[in-house]
Amino acid sequence: MKFANFPLQPGRRQTAALAAFMLLQTVAAVFFVGDAFSDLFDEPASPHSVFEAFIAFVLISGIFLVGWQLRITLERMRDQERALETARGDLSRIIETQFSEWGLTPAECDVGLLALKGLDLAEIARLRGAAQGTVRAQLTRIYAKANVSGRHQFAAWFVEDLLDDGIAVREPA
Amino acid sequence: MANRDSSSQGAGALSPPDPWDPLVRASHWLIAGAVIANGLINKPGGTIHIWIGWAVLGLLALRFVWGLFGPAEARFTAFLPDPRAAVSHLLALVRSKPKEYPSHNPAAAIMVYALWGCLVAVTATGLVMTGARSPVTIAEEKAAVAAGDWSVLVNADNHDGGAEMTGFREAAEEVHEVAANLMLVLALIHVAGVVVESRSLRRNLIRPMVFGRVRNK
Repeated sequence: MKFANFPLQPGRRQTAALAAFMLLQTVAAVFFVGDAFSDLFDEPASPHSVFEAFIAFVLISGIFLVGWQLRITLERMRDQERALETARGDLSRIIETQFSEWGLTPAECDVGLLALKGLDLAEIARLRGAAQGTVRAQLTRIYAKANVSGRHQFAAWFVEDLLDDGIAVREPA
Repeated sequence: MANRDSSSQGAGALSPPDPWDPLVRASHWLIAGAVIANGLINKPGGTIHIWIGWAVLGLLALRFVWGLFGPAEARFTAFLPDPRAAVSHLLALVRSKPKEYPSHNPAAAIMVYALWGCLVAVTATGLVMTGARSPVTIAEEKAAVAAGDWSVLVNADNHDGGAEMTGFREAAEEVHEVAANLMLVLALIHVAGVVVESRSLRRNLIRPMVFGRVRNK
């Protein structure tokens, strides 16, 4: 809930900045090329014209580069959003399946989900309009059914598979 | 993937598209501002008028390049002109049952091309009227004349090529005015269209053009 609008924010500011810069650069290029055009036209081989042509070329390729970058960023943002949606869906499906395998009751499923989201006892009790004692009892039953020692192991049960086994145990030298 | 695609096509109403990338948005509002400034506010033919016209030239060129290489919704291929689809969209709008489209709807697409056509006509004829001299050159000439050096005007006239050119330039002026007025009328219709479409789709179509993708999940 806290991170509902998190994924897009950083990329959005970046793309807006890129677009603004690209627009400025284009307008600048138009003015420059417009001004240099008569020089280029009248004496294309003079050092002045050659230099102006070079600057115009660099300016315009800069615009294309920024545009390319902007497009890549936009596509990447879209991919991430899609992947995140898929991952969200997959994770909740996995959790649901596991809960039913453990034989949790619907009420226990809700409590278990809230516990996985990181809510503490008081918050879960408030959200469900139940006494804290009830929630504590439900959690205990959940841990027993899942055969875990407590909340940490319960949460780790789902995270474990997401992590690579690349965690190097650092040996003291 | 296939699953997601079918869901996004089938249930357009559930996840409305928010197709406008920052470049499309920025160029849209800048051009809108430029049209208002040059069409209604500043002095026609004045220095500011010409500066803004040149800036529009750049914005338009950039938008056209973006229409070839930009993201899918910004590309011309996403909203090719299709008069028949446009008419059927308008009919659906009258029956207040319009469909959702990933980019411009077909009627709006026609409007986009009409407005672009006007912009191209206005800027091109504007260039003819000023002899394609850049705002910098014009400003320098004005400064020179103000300082008492009238010779720049003679040079400018020679550069332009005599009586034949004058007739051409008058025609350009005519086109410039007609296209500019037509564009203002089209812009009004465009705004009206957005309001009507927003009402009948029951969602704010102006918001995504201002803020881009807004997910309120």
